[in-house]
Amino acid sequence: MSRPVRRPPLAVVLVAIAMMALGETAGATMSQLKPQIQRYAAARVAANPEAHGFSGSAEYDDEVRAQAIFSAETGLSFFHLHAEGVGLVLFFAATLVAALVPARRVRTLLYILLTLGGLFPVGYLAYGAAVLELGRDAGIGLAERWLLAPLGVAAIAGLLGLMLVTARRRA
Amino acid sequence: MSVVANASVWRLPPRWVLLVALLSIACAEIGGAAMARFKVELARWARDRMLARPAVHGLVGVRDVDERILDEALVKFDAGLRLFHMHAEGMGLVIIATTMVATTMAQSVAVRRTITALLTTGGAGYPVGYLLWSALIPSYGPDGAKTIAEWLVWVPFGSATIAALWWLVGLVALRMLRPEK
Repeated sequence: MSRPVRRPPLAVVLVAIAMMALGETAGATMSQLKPQIQRYAAARVAANPEAHGFSGSAEYDDEVRAQAIFSAETGLSFFHLHAEGVGLVLFFAATLVAALVPARRVRTLLYILLTLGGLFPVGYLAYGAAVLELGRDAGIGLAERWLLAPLGVAAIAGLLGLMLVTARRRA
Repeated sequence: MSVVANASVWRLPPRWVLLVALLSIACAEIGGAAMARFKVELARWARDRMLARPAVHGLVGVRDVDERILDEALVKFDAGLRLFHMHAEGMGLVIIATTMVATTMAQSVAVRRTITALLTTGGAGYPVGYLLWSALIPSYGPDGAKTIAEWLVWVPFGSATIAALWWLVGLVALRMLRPEK
């Protein structure tokens, strides 16, 4: 028997749609403004020589600069990819929560976890920016520790919680 | 003209929208399967077409030089097919999710129809650009093919999707600020 499917709260829908819009926009920006992004990245690396461990040897410094710019571009590219995908995951998972979870407190907890998880792609934007400002290893470490890991854990916890509630409901 | 609907439940988008989204996903699946099954044939076809147009690809008749150029073009040819596969899968789902939001949240029929049309045509059309890029690489070279795909498909269809998505973000934000009475 079919019945109307409840929707999640507007704040959750907003985060999901905004993440998809940001992902699309990042993809277009990467494609249309590639030279400008590379120039900006090179300028930021040059402005933070100590963070990148420049030695004064042109050959070594060029290699370090190229790696930092590549990492920053990778961050943007991962943001594009994850924002599209995670936006969809948040949208459909939150819809399942709205439709399947009867207890209001559990539902709220799952919305919070999934929405935090929906912000996971922002970690990749931070990854790209932090690499340029703090150096490759320190930048990646910072983004992973403070954004990617906690937000990723929130997403996993939310999805596992939804799975458990769904399994209990069937049982 | 506007509609009053129960916005606490999802409303399905029009059937043609769902069909377009499913077609996009199906094409992506078929594209992925075809890439795997006919990988050698596709590469051979592209290579033969490129060898038939040496001037377009800057082939000079020296094996070492030409092979490198052909390999680079073939990598891009393959990348175009992969990107079509990936984007068509994703955009099919994006069409379903976002048009559901538009159908549920937009009270004005004109706004709802416009956002839905932009999201559907933009979302389904954009991935075709990657297919076009791949198909044109043997004839026009990677850069020439990219320019054609960019202006014929990526820019118009991508812009439609981005504009509609931000419009939808604004609409949902507005609904949060001014809830339905």
